[in-house]
Amino acid sequence: MNAQPNQQTSSGGITLWRFTLVAVVFGCLLGAVLVRLVMLHTVEQPFLFEQGEKRTVREEVQPAMRGMITDRYGKPLAVSTPVVTLWLNPQQVNVQQLPAVAGDLGLSPKELIRKVERAATQGRSFVYLKRQVQPELAQQVLKRRVAGIYGDDDFRRFYPAAEVAAHTVGIVDVDGHGQEGLELAFDEFLQGSHGSRQVVKDLYGNVIKQLKVNAVAQPGGDLALTLDLRLQYLAYRELKAAVSQHNAKSGSAVLVDARNGDVLALVNQPSYNPNNRASLRAENMRNRAVADLIEPGSTIKPFTVAAALNSGRYFPHSEINTAPGFVRVKNKTIRDHRNYGVLDITGVITKSSNVGVTFLAHQLGAERLWDFFSKAGIGQATVLGFPGEAVGSMPYPEQMDALRLATVSYGYGLSVSPLQLAHAYTSFTQGGCIKPVRLLMNDKPQTECQQVMPENIARQVLDMLETVTSKQGTGSRARVAGYRVGGKTGTAHKVGQQGYEDSEYTAVFSGIAPISSPDLVLVVVIDEPQGKEYYGGEVAAPVFSRIMQQALRLRQVAPDDGSVPHLQMAGGPA
Amino acid sequence: MNVGAAILWLAVLISASAQIGVVHWHRTLLQVWQQDDALRLQLLQEHTRLLLEKSTLTAHGRIDQQARKQLNMTEPDNVQVLSQ
Repeated sequence: MNAQPNQQTSSGGITLWRFTLVAVVFGCLLGAVLVRLVMLHTVEQPFLFEQGEKRTVREEVQPAMRGMITDRYGKPLAVSTPVVTLWLNPQQVNVQQLPAVAGDLGLSPKELIRKVERAATQGRSFVYLKRQVQPELAQQVLKRRVAGIYGDDDFRRFYPAAEVAAHTVGIVDVDGHGQEGLELAFDEFLQGSHGSRQVVKDLYGNVIKQLKVNAVAQPGGDLALTLDLRLQYLAYRELKAAVSQHNAKSGSAVLVDARNGDVLALVNQPSYNPNNRASLRAENMRNRAVADLIEPGSTIKPFTVAAALNSGRYFPHSEINTAPGFVRVKNKTIRDHRNYGVLDITGVITKSSNVGVTFLAHQLGAERLWDFFSKAGIGQATVLGFPGEAVGSMPYPEQMDALRLATVSYGYGLSVSPLQLAHAYTSFTQGGCIKPVRLLMNDKPQTECQQVMPENIARQVLDMLETVTSKQGTGSRARVAGYRVGGKTGTAHKVGQQGYEDSEYTAVFSGIAPISSPDLVLVVVIDEPQGKEYYGGEVAAPVFSRIMQQALRLRQVAPDDGSVPHLQMAGGPA
Repeated sequence: MNVGAAILWLAVLISASAQIGVVHWHRTLLQVWQQDDALRLQLLQEHTRLLLEKSTLTAHGRIDQQARKQLNMTEPDNVQVLSQ
């Protein structure tokens, strides 16, 4: 008890000392906190702000929808549909939750975990979980609310017409960039422009705040082709059947509107399914009708004959002596199938006489022939803007000696694409006035045309072409019941290692129907048919007939050969 | 002096609460927009799905086969032309 006052007096000094100490210590602590606070707010502020933004602010790209490609009636050939691309951040993901996600997506859980763990140890923060997933499935995965798994909007390209229009339409890669065909040629137009914005996101990837819109997504433009999907389909079916029947290496068919040069069908064999990327093979992807050059063979003869008629020195009934069925030019013998004796000009076409056209070409001279051919578009680019579009070739007049001139007159020593050949034939059907081919409805129809020959000569050539499909002609198998059909067969030896091969051929048929008022021009090319039949009249002409028959019916062209009875419609409402 | 400060304080308070209100409004609008955009994508997907479905069902090969097999249709041989 008595120690108390003693303690109090001694503690009086201590109290002050202690109080001061505590106050100073607390003051220092407060000061430290203040200094730190000021430091954070001033010196380290930019760094911290940046780090904070890095964790929450995201630049979000909104993909633009790629434009549609349709046929002339708006039937879809290539369509983009919204899908979701799932990705994950290996740094944030809990590996225990992955097997369930893998189950949803049909992935192997083991492989997924291995992939994610490897990415995590490499310090990566982005791994594709699965690209282009159906939106319903993606929602199912995202609903699990697994931290670190995100979904981005994306588009996937579908090709409803698949292999039927594959070569023309082309294909895009998984990132939506054009790789082939029109998808490549018009990539920029179809693509549109992506939108982008800055947003604040929470841990689950939900947008909670939009900071800035940098660009609004602009959808790509739609491309309408002049193709008619119905005609495209039936041309494809018939060509495929013929190529497999003759065991040929490849084949092409080009169907062009005889009145204005619109491409209605453009098919090739072999083809590919653009929806199944795994099955793609480069050699199947070439658009042979546009990109490959062929020697047209006898299908060029109508132009030689038209040039002769155009010179004013010959008429359809002018007679030429082709006996003895061969002619020597320089050191080469040009032969006919057999000795046809005296033929008129029409007969030269009907019988496909090499001797006859050689004579005509020599009479005309290289200059005139070259001039006429190039006006008709032979060896001239078709300018569809197609990737890999072939230009073709024709020797200049000064390069043509007597032999070269003779071979050119029956279709050797010059090259055209099947499309060019079809285009050149439209010069007969448009009254001698040729318009450029058109593949896109977006392009305005051409009203101007180039006069190749007078209208009456075009008509005379049409009548000559009709004789080819008569019983005496080389193309009798191209006939179509009910219609007057004209055309020209061609069989060209293929060029091999040592000049022209004896047993490898390209069979061609190029024709027009109906002759009275031409509606369609069709070129069929079958490359390297194997077997006993290899002439254009045997291999290509029947394909022409089958395609033409159905195409004319689909286009509701009235039969014109007079064999079909016209019935008067009984008095219905007019 | 005192009155000026009071007005200033009042203005600060009003502006602060307005900011709260505007931020909330922005977020609500953003949410509505996001829902609409999701709906747009969903409808777009539905549209293209139906488009693809239609083109599959009306594929020429399919129509051709069904006409031949199910409906026993044949290609017309005996052609007659009706004219008015």
